[in-house]
Amino acid sequence: MYKNYLKTAWRNILGNKFYASINVAGLTVGLVVGLFMLLWVQDELSYDKFNSKADNIYKIGIVGGTGISKQIFNNIIAPVATFAKREVPEVQDAVRIMTLGNAPFRYKDKVFYEDDFAFTDASYFTLFDFNLIKGDKRHPFPDNSSIVITEDMADKYFGKEDPIGKVVTLGQDEQLKVTGVIPNYPANSSFKYRILMPLARFNDLAYIKNKKSYDNKTFISSMDADWSMFGFQTYLLLKPGTTVNTTALEKKLQAIHERNKPEDAPVPYLTQPLLKMHLYKADGTDGGISTVRTFGIVALMILVIACINYVNLSTARSMLRAKEVSMRKIIGANKFQLFMQFMAETTLLFVIAAIFAFALMFVLLPYYNQFSGKQIALSLSSYNIWACILVTLIGTLAASSIYPALLLSSFEPLKALKGRVTIGIGNAAFRRILVVLQFAVSIVLIIGTLIIGKQLKYIRDKNLGYDKGNVLSFSMRDEMIPHYDVIKNELQKNPAVLGITRAGRDIVTGGSSTGDTDWDGKPANSNMWFNQIYADKDLLSFFKMKIIDGAGFTGAVADSAHFLINETAVKEMGLKNPIGKRLRVQTVNGTIIGVVKDFHFASIHKQIEPAVFQYNPNNCWKVYLKTTGRDAQSAIASAQAMWKQYNGDIPFNFTFLDESYKKQYTDDQRTGSLFNMFSGIAIIISCLGLFGLATYSAQVKTREIGIRKVLGASVSRIIGLLAAEFMVLIIIAIVIAIPVGWYAMSAWLRDFAYKINITWVVFLLAGGGATFIALATISIQSVKAAIANPVKSLKNGE
Amino acid sequence: MIKITNLEKFYRTEEVETIALNKLSMEVNTGEFVAIMGPSGCGKSTLLNILGMLDDPDNGSYVFNGVEIAHFNERKRADLRKHNIGFVFQSFNLIDELTVFENVELPLIYTGVSSADRVKRVEEVLDKMQIMHRRNHYPQQLSGGQQQRVAIARAVVNKPKLILADEPTGNLDSSNGNDVMELLTDLNEQGTTIIMVTHSEHDARYSHRIIRLLDGQTVMENIMV
Repeated sequence: MYKNYLKTAWRNILGNKFYASINVAGLTVGLVVGLFMLLWVQDELSYDKFNSKADNIYKIGIVGGTGISKQIFNNIIAPVATFAKREVPEVQDAVRIMTLGNAPFRYKDKVFYEDDFAFTDASYFTLFDFNLIKGDKRHPFPDNSSIVITEDMADKYFGKEDPIGKVVTLGQDEQLKVTGVIPNYPANSSFKYRILMPLARFNDLAYIKNKKSYDNKTFISSMDADWSMFGFQTYLLLKPGTTVNTTALEKKLQAIHERNKPEDAPVPYLTQPLLKMHLYKADGTDGGISTVRTFGIVALMILVIACINYVNLSTARSMLRAKEVSMRKIIGANKFQLFMQFMAETTLLFVIAAIFAFALMFVLLPYYNQFSGKQIALSLSSYNIWACILVTLIGTLAASSIYPALLLSSFEPLKALKGRVTIGIGNAAFRRILVVLQFAVSIVLIIGTLIIGKQLKYIRDKNLGYDKGNVLSFSMRDEMIPHYDVIKNELQKNPAVLGITRAGRDIVTGGSSTGDTDWDGKPANSNMWFNQIYADKDLLSFFKMKIIDGAGFTGAVADSAHFLINETAVKEMGLKNPIGKRLRVQTVNGTIIGVVKDFHFASIHKQIEPAVFQYNPNNCWKVYLKTTGRDAQSAIASAQAMWKQYNGDIPFNFTFLDESYKKQYTDDQRTGSLFNMFSGIAIIISCLGLFGLATYSAQVKTREIGIRKVLGASVSRIIGLLAAEFMVLIIIAIVIAIPVGWYAMSAWLRDFAYKINITWVVFLLAGGGATFIALATISIQSVKAAIANPVKSLKNGE
Repeated sequence: MIKITNLEKFYRTEEVETIALNKLSMEVNTGEFVAIMGPSGCGKSTLLNILGMLDDPDNGSYVFNGVEIAHFNERKRADLRKHNIGFVFQSFNLIDELTVFENVELPLIYTGVSSADRVKRVEEVLDKMQIMHRRNHYPQQLSGGQQQRVAIARAVVNKPKLILADEPTGNLDSSNGNDVMELLTDLNEQGTTIIMVTHSEHDARYSHRIIRLLDGQTVMENIMV
């Protein structure tokens, strides 16, 4: 019997190639896009799950500052982990990770700059599932010169040689011995540190040997005694089986902190489950999860649109199959047998679409991975991926097959045979609703695309309050900092170098802040934090930042006790006349001498925060060099030559500020291009369906059109008649889509502190665009039907 | 075999109620060949549909093989139908996507006959209808007469006790029409009961008895000799 079903189904597809291709094309495109998106969602949701103890691992954060300066510190102070392990019973183990930007590593003639290196505790390898595959598992770091590297690092530096025991040089002369190798990280790991050094080494270098002092009076014996350096990612492994009361744990950590550094109180602690780290912010609010949700919903919508095409075309055309269904019934088929027959037909079409979809997915996978920043592989062993694909396929199949099969199998044979099938109004209304739904979804996506595009343009064109054009920056290494003036003079000899300055922070992406401040009239309960910017005297003029009150630094000795603050700081401090007021920042007691106009020194997702400029050239390690678009190469060459002079063969790393600015919005850009694609796909699939329906509509109306023409209707009237039926639906879709799109996109924009206003132009464009595309689609068929010879159509219509 | 008593059927639209069958009573015995005649709208087709269990009466009794079926639901009617009744239509109603063989095979599939048996029986009946050579053709590739032979083959393949024919020669020229009537006569002589609706006095002469309907009632019965 099933053979018979499939045979009929196959012949039906062959006999109706036009509709079959529309259906297959729509389903294929829908499946490819829907599946790719769902795989993306699945991958995002799978982050860090491979860690077997993931459920018991928490990341610790601290809330600092109040008001606009309130922020969450993901990097906390080192002693918390040590104290927690000792004093908090539910804590089984802890790990800290500390990063220091990038540094050059050398082995023989190979020198690479590595970003992914970190200092960590040995517990890193056992608390997480990053077990050593080479080396002594119990002692990953036998001494402070040990390093553990990933497999790909081992390949990169040592090729086929055994990495264990090899000595690499960090920077100029730090000798490090490889004592362990861990496997490469899974793509869905939040941790990607490929060179790991013992935290004890950092302690040794920064505290024990360096005699680090905080206030120039007391020396800090070790990092575990330093309650001020917020530099350590800290993870606690809680004892399994204990019911976790995170609030209580947070209170205990807070108590430890406040007991040891009372002046920080109150200092609320945060705990975040490891599994939430990738998609949520430390305080539990939505991070990437909102994009994941959006993409999940959009994926489902695209699949639904594709299903709707199938449902609409097959139910619309079911009238043409009424005779066949009736005969089958008269001959003896029961409803279930017929139902199964139509299910078989849909399944067959679906299998064809799925095969095309898989083929396309394999071909497009590399581009998709590049586009989405993922490393998804469609290998047979990835159970999760196939489960996701299978569930999607079955869901889509069910959604598109059951209704048409029920409808077709429920025909009353007698009426159907006489051509009096009354799938009539109810069914047509249902189809109309589906068309409206399709177009509403498409229009919402178009609205989304337009608004995201506008916001991205806004970001690109935004006046940041400083001039970042053609500025390249690089970080000076130890030897260079004392020789900055020589370097500067030398570089200025090149006419391609228009200006040069330095700062103690990355101007585009931000840097550190401090809450250790005091000023005249500081409210008792204020815990305001300042972004600290160490500046050379010419930093402001270099970046064309404006001083709106007072004066800037002159480079005089007295400047070391002078502060410039930004407008937001003035407002937050509650100062009326800031100039001349006393301000203490950490150990520097001084005077405010000027107010700088607000500028964006961090992502424009964030509000401008209070900032303080300090004249502190000795701590300015970041060089900024202004050039022109045309002469950039020459400026780079000069800078590189200077670099070589001080750093030998360590590679010269530099970035243009425009680039690092753009990099901050990579995710937003990606969302933008993905949305471009989604809305394009959605409208294509919807129009495919509309095209099919319009064709069908013209087909069944051939006779009506013929009669109207004989009676004197003009071609344009007939086109109008055919188009009107669908245009009403598109207009209803627009009316539905506008509020939905407005609501959804307002929510998206809420994540930006600085954003565009949504104007009616967007809706006009989206609605107009959809109408135009739909009209064009319908017209192809309408015109054909309208100009046909009525004599012919009347004959055929009999 | 068939006994209907006071059968009524109404068709209602929003404004008008039409009486299709008006307290109609009749009997058909096993082995009979009955023709039903009458002008358009007299209720012939309605009667045939009710006899064929494709439609149910509004009132009255329908006894088939001694069983009252007027109140049967669709499922029971369908079950009874597929084992007992074969249909032949004016417009053949073959399924375009299936070959001659597959069209004839279809009723056997729905009654659950095994594949080997199906081949045997379909070949047997195609042979009898002399269209074996067309077994792999599709309906559109056949002449009207050939298509009606296939339709008859399909109607008889399940060995029904009753064949209902609705204007079986209506779409055929006279020579093909005669062939079809000969086939029906043969089947009848082999024991199948036949009820045929027709406009053609010529075709009606093949039957044993003509029932003439007008406005849903029997107006005359002619016994053919």
